[in-house]
Amino acid sequence: MKKQLIWICLLCIGILIGLWTTFRVYSVGFTLYAKTDVLVWTLPLSTYIFFSLTSAGLAFVSSIPVVFGIKRYEAIEKRTVYLEIAVLVGSFVCLILHLGSPLKIIYILLSPNPSSPLWWLAVLYVAYLVLLLSAFWRIHTGNISKTLGVLIFLIAIFTSTTLGWLLGMTDARPALNASFFSFYFPLTGFASGMAALILFSLVYAQFSGQEITEDKSALYNELGRIMGVVAGMVLILFLWRTISGGISSTAVEYGAFKHMIGSIPYNIEFWLGLVAPTALMLIPTIRATMWGKVSASLLLLVGMFAGRLEFVLSGVVRPLGQMAEGRPEIVSYMPTVYEIFVALFGFSLMLLIYTIGERYLKLETASE
Amino acid sequence: MVIDLQRCVGCGSCSISCRNENNVSEGAYWSHKITETSGTFPNVRYHYIPTLCNHCTDAPCVRGCPTRAMHKLDNGITMHDPDKCIGCRYCMINCPYGVIYFNWKDAHPSWKETNPVIQGVTSSPAEEVRKVGGKGIPYYNPERDATLPGIRPKGVVEKCTFCDHRVNEGKLPRCVEACPADARIFGDLDDSKSQVNQLLGKFRPFRLKEAMGTEPAVFYIRDFSAAGYPRTKGGI
Repeated sequence: MKKQLIWICLLCIGILIGLWTTFRVYSVGFTLYAKTDVLVWTLPLSTYIFFSLTSAGLAFVSSIPVVFGIKRYEAIEKRTVYLEIAVLVGSFVCLILHLGSPLKIIYILLSPNPSSPLWWLAVLYVAYLVLLLSAFWRIHTGNISKTLGVLIFLIAIFTSTTLGWLLGMTDARPALNASFFSFYFPLTGFASGMAALILFSLVYAQFSGQEITEDKSALYNELGRIMGVVAGMVLILFLWRTISGGISSTAVEYGAFKHMIGSIPYNIEFWLGLVAPTALMLIPTIRATMWGKVSASLLLLVGMFAGRLEFVLSGVVRPLGQMAEGRPEIVSYMPTVYEIFVALFGFSLMLLIYTIGERYLKLETASE
Repeated sequence: MVIDLQRCVGCGSCSISCRNENNVSEGAYWSHKITETSGTFPNVRYHYIPTLCNHCTDAPCVRGCPTRAMHKLDNGITMHDPDKCIGCRYCMINCPYGVIYFNWKDAHPSWKETNPVIQGVTSSPAEEVRKVGGKGIPYYNPERDATLPGIRPKGVVEKCTFCDHRVNEGKLPRCVEACPADARIFGDLDDSKSQVNQLLGKFRPFRLKEAMGTEPAVFYIRDFSAAGYPRTKGGI
């Protein structure tokens, strides 16, 4: 109990720092971020992408019993849906702190532009949140509807692929531009969703002293195996992306991505986020241990977090057109403390919502 | 718009006049330039291309804007409405020409300074603004208010509007009027008899990043070079 209180206090401090950052950013301006006219998308947006795709990945997992009829996954359905909500709220916080004028978001309704993928994404997210809240309520009260489960599954596919469309539309920045991302995003989201579920479930069980039943243990082993396979698939796609865009392409527009290949986020994504979890989860003796699964999940999430930043920076570090005037060919980026606070805000709020859920909403229980 | 690179001397009058006309804050460049050098020392040459929003017919910034804050006017001008702008900067990501700027902070911060530049000798920038009754800057142009907030707030993007407030009154964009070399020609591309169309038919125009298919409405003609070279047979 005392440990939990300290944990909640730490999260509240994170949220207070986030609120102070919000006040500072909207009173002083976005100069508090390491942003220039070139680096228009940075850590707050990449954190939003990380959360958003993790939430979509969790939706794929939560849909397994309803959409694919694999009943043993019902045991983790409630926790997965609740975690999706918490992660989605975290993503909204980072998105809001990325926007220059978030209060004008009402114009998405008043002045819609259906040719914009960003407009579709906004609409889908609102629907997604409403559906998730409804689904959680139905599970909590003991009767999940199949229609709702299918809708969440579909909307998770649409949000993650629309994010790929949003970046794929940017002809000006080929390092971001590939319909490839409409496939890559849901797949990486699935990997990070599974990692989040394994990590949160096992760490909570460890700290709360709950015993993991044999059935659940087998289920987490199965999830660990799937996570390893998916991380391996992502690893192969990642290597192809590196070869096609970073090594074999001669287009100058890929200069930004070529620059990112040697960067810290790229290497974290590759070694920690993909190679290590794949290796760990494909070795049965490690996969069978709790700490093996926890380590692999944590590494995968750290790698994905770094990967989203690498991806965003690949599109912006090379100045375009008149923005290149008087600037180096590649602009360097180091996040400011305020940008780190934005990410901290998102994580703290997400973790607090999840902790409250674990404490009061009986996430262990399965829907009937 | 047609920009004659043979006439352009690179004086920067277009940028300065644009700044005054549109109350553009420091750090933003509605009218700017791209400079390049070519060759290897000592055989080098300097190129200067004035730039501004290309008011593309198929503008990626307009297509991607979720709230239609970035939109096309009937006369082809790509216009921006800061009241609808949520500050997502997707237009900046989509624009291949780098001509859209985000207001990271309140405009004209140096004119808000309350400390005199030289203590006891000069007044402070803020006092200067007050003295002349300017709105944020001493050289504030109230005519800009006609179609757009005279000074745009922080948290939104801004860019060249081809001086739509002047065009509406039958005047030329300020950069065109201010060009001492008359290197900028402004007119209706839909009018086959307009001077811009005459020039486009007379010379071999080019546009920036034409292969992107955005159909820019800013064309460049001719080039300046006073260089000559002796005639030889294949360089021998």
